Amino acid sequence: MISIKGLSFIYNDTKEPALNNINIDINEGEFVGIAGPTGAGKSTLTLCLNGVIPHFLHGDFYGEVKVDGKDTVDNGCAKIAYSVGSVFQDPEAQIVSTRVEDEIAFGLENLNIPRIEIAERIKESLEMTGISELRDYSTSQLSGGQKQRVAIASAIALRPKILVLDEPTSELDPKGSLDIFDTLQRLNREYNITIVVVEQKIQLLSEYCSRLVIMEKGNILLDGETRSVLADQETLQRIGVSAPPVTRLAYMLKKEGLYQGGFPINVEEAYLMVSKVLSEKSR
Amino acid sequence: MIRINNLSYRYKNGNNVLKNLNISIKSGEFAAIIGQNGAGKTTLLKNLNGLLKPTNGHVLICGLDTSKTKTSVLARKIGFLFQNPDHQIFCSTVFDEIAFGLKNTGISPNEIESMVYNAAKKVGLESYLKHDPFSLSKGQRQRVALASVLAMETDILVLDEPTTGQDYSEGLEIMEIVKELNKHGKTIVMVTHDMELVAQYAKRVIVLMKGTVIEDGTTEEVLSKEKSLAQSNLKPPQAYLLAKKFQKQGFFKNTYTVEDMFEEIISYLGGEQNACND
Repeated sequence: MISIKGLSFIYNDTKEPALNNINIDINEGEFVGIAGPTGAGKSTLTLCLNGVIPHFLHGDFYGEVKVDGKDTVDNGCAKIAYSVGSVFQDPEAQIVSTRVEDEIAFGLENLNIPRIEIAERIKESLEMTGISELRDYSTSQLSGGQKQRVAIASAIALRPKILVLDEPTSELDPKGSLDIFDTLQRLNREYNITIVVVEQKIQLLSEYCSRLVIMEKGNILLDGETRSVLADQETLQRIGVSAPPVTRLAYMLKKEGLYQGGFPINVEEAYLMVSKVLSEKSR
Repeated sequence: MIRINNLSYRYKNGNNVLKNLNISIKSGEFAAIIGQNGAGKTTLLKNLNGLLKPTNGHVLICGLDTSKTKTSVLARKIGFLFQNPDHQIFCSTVFDEIAFGLKNTGISPNEIESMVYNAAKKVGLESYLKHDPFSLSKGQRQRVALASVLAMETDILVLDEPTTGQDYSEGLEIMEIVKELNKHGKTIVMVTHDMELVAQYAKRVIVLMKGTVIEDGTTEEVLSKEKSLAQSNLKPPQAYLLAKKFQKQGFFKNTYTVEDMFEEIISYLGGEQNACND
């Protein structure tokens, strides 16, 4: 679904590449989380997926990016928008209409979708994101989490095969963040939409993503099944990426030679680990 | 240090955001204010620095009533660090940025220079004074913003989501500096959603919901109020939930960070391990 070969990008007026020879393939239906310290190139990578780079942000572009079979250099942003939906950090910056319904219609009108179909798609995308009751709301009266879900609904109204999100929960409280990831999970599982999400909250990524990509200074450092990536605590701590607290506990216990099993990511798994460690005393 | 008596605040559109709040924060406390989006946290903060004046009731900062005190006077008592440092920074060198608040106070240039240096040193940026703040990383810019607040040498420091928008290690750096300041007696009030941060640093937690205080107590007490937290869309941190599962067996009492759990496991297993080593 996404194929990136030898991608490097240097923004105009900078010397250091923001992306440095990136190679990654993402299959249809994957739910991929991207994490890494600031300056890792995470946002730049998302901008390469929706064609904003190289069409709107300029610089030296090397390599090849294909989304849904389309080369992002040969195809303009509008064509890519049929395949890739984008959601950014700050929904305020993305929402342009005063009513929720109009906001979702906006992108569709720009793509010349017939009127009847627009109505259908609005209904469908509101249902898919679980916010049907917000249809007639004014966008200014929505909470941050609701706004972010309206932004997601607008993106999926275009029926993209891929949804790319850059820190969609950064302004949200814990419940709002969970709602977003529940929505993404639903889109992924029920509609087979490929999800690529940049997120600082590693605990959310560990609970929802099947695959984790860790970036640093324009490079991909780790790429694999979520748990195996989290197991590389040495690399993660070195570059300053957090881990779920219970995963950190496992790492501390392992370093002391007190625990040999797999890395837990939730409280239930950690309970088994700590029980085992404590039981060593009575032996 | 901070006294909030029957504080109510109503916006012009009639929205009653704060309802009859009573909070008193003593010198040297490290208090976290938590609550869901829209609970009134930001409105409360704006009432602390005099940006908003109470509709009813009083806010006293070091004994000064905010509705009768100039904000410039309050600014010598209570410093604010906001979420996004870029909204706070506007000078072309780190030195000027840190010195900005001081220049408006009539302090002599020599004294300003040493105050700026001291503040920069506290955040580890004393060798960056001639740099343009925007040539620094976001984490460093947040520390510049912190230094300019510290330069004012206020007794109280208020942090609004101090780690949001930064990566994990940058956030940690800021919090470790704040922890050190608190150790030396500075009163800290922190608004956050991050329960791990609360568990790790705050000693007192105040939960706001729909403009009222629904919990106020030690971190330990408030983390155990799962019902109130759930009402506020908050969840106790992982380590707290894990520790609780072992409390019937007598382990991890008053423990809410994995670091503390680790220490306890080590000392529990310690006796036997030493025996093995012999």
